[in-house]
Amino acid sequence: MATLVPPATNPPPPPSPDSKPAEPEKVDYMDLPCPIPYEEIHRESFMSLKPELFEGLRFDFTKGLNQRFSLSHSVFMGPTEVPSQSAEVIKIPTAHYEFGANFIDPKMMLFGRILTDGRLNARVKCDLSENLTLKANAQLTNEPHMSHGMANFDYKGSDFRTQLQLGNGALFGASYIQSVTPHLALGGEVFWAGQHRKSGIGYAARYNTDKMVATGQVASTGMVALSYVQKVSEKVSLASDFMYNYMSRDVTASLGYDYILRQCRLRGKIDSNGCTAAFLEERLNMGLNFILSAE
Amino acid sequence: MASRVALKTKSKGAKGGAKPADERSAVKCLKEWSTWTIKKAKVITHYGFIPMVIIIGMSSEPRPSISQLLSPI
Repeated sequence: MATLVPPATNPPPPPSPDSKPAEPEKVDYMDLPCPIPYEEIHRESFMSLKPELFEGLRFDFTKGLNQRFSLSHSVFMGPTEVPSQSAEVIKIPTAHYEFGANFIDPKMMLFGRILTDGRLNARVKCDLSENLTLKANAQLTNEPHMSHGMANFDYKGSDFRTQLQLGNGALFGASYIQSVTPHLALGGEVFWAGQHRKSGIGYAARYNTDKMVATGQVASTGMVALSYVQKVSEKVSLASDFMYNYMSRDVTASLGYDYILRQCRLRGKIDSNGCTAAFLEERLNMGLNFILSAE
Repeated sequence: MASRVALKTKSKGAKGGAKPADERSAVKCLKEWSTWTIKKAKVITHYGFIPMVIIIGMSSEPRPSISQLLSPI
């Protein structure tokens, strides 16, 4: 089972100028590293605590025709959840085949997937100039009023990033994040949804060193999210996450681990809702990956 | 006299009503035209995105052949 991992869309921040431990710390505030994008502020904790869990059988085959161009065929058989009015979750067994084409260039990335029921999932990422990037993604269906599209314009400065988002249904959003010290970055975002007549504002902070990453995010929709990831060694990292919604008084805390070994990657988490999950990815052979997921 | 006054106000009312009606129909035209464009763009993207990616990929260097595109291995 070969899976396609989408390439990281943003370069890692350059090392800060005072990273040598022997010299005394002298912070050059004019030369701070570029922060990570606002939507990836919880990246480390998401990677550890929210792997792509699935139920059923999934078979992915990626065939590369070129260095940049590849096709992918994917078969999925398993239960999918159907939204229902009662408290019980209704699961219906489904099966579908998905065909995809990817074109990856240093300047432009195109990613398209089409399912047997006619749904198209498309992503485009294009570097319009050295600092300005356009990202667009769309999920198009044959059913009326169920299609979504969103376009983002990202501008990367020397120590800040800003993003403008436009979506269908009159959705507008903007976010800004700035490195304040070599380890701390602060940011804010604002969005307006025309169709649902909602607007919101949020703030986030991220503090990272070589060994740990701590992030916090507050939004006017009532969400408070805090996370802490500690890198215990090269291969092991532990993550914890706390999410609180002060409008609906809903609290979730989760703890997880992430072992990155030579041949496999094992992630597990336990939740305050009593939910445990584990995800194992193993490289059996060259080009053959085996994935086990349980929740 | 009353009928003349009534006629005058009627014509004035009709003239006054024609201008905003023109503007309203211009805005309506623009809205209808933009809705039509978005609908057509959605259909074109839905059917044409993956063929476009395949065409761009097949024309990049080194050129793969059609047999490589169609065979399952």
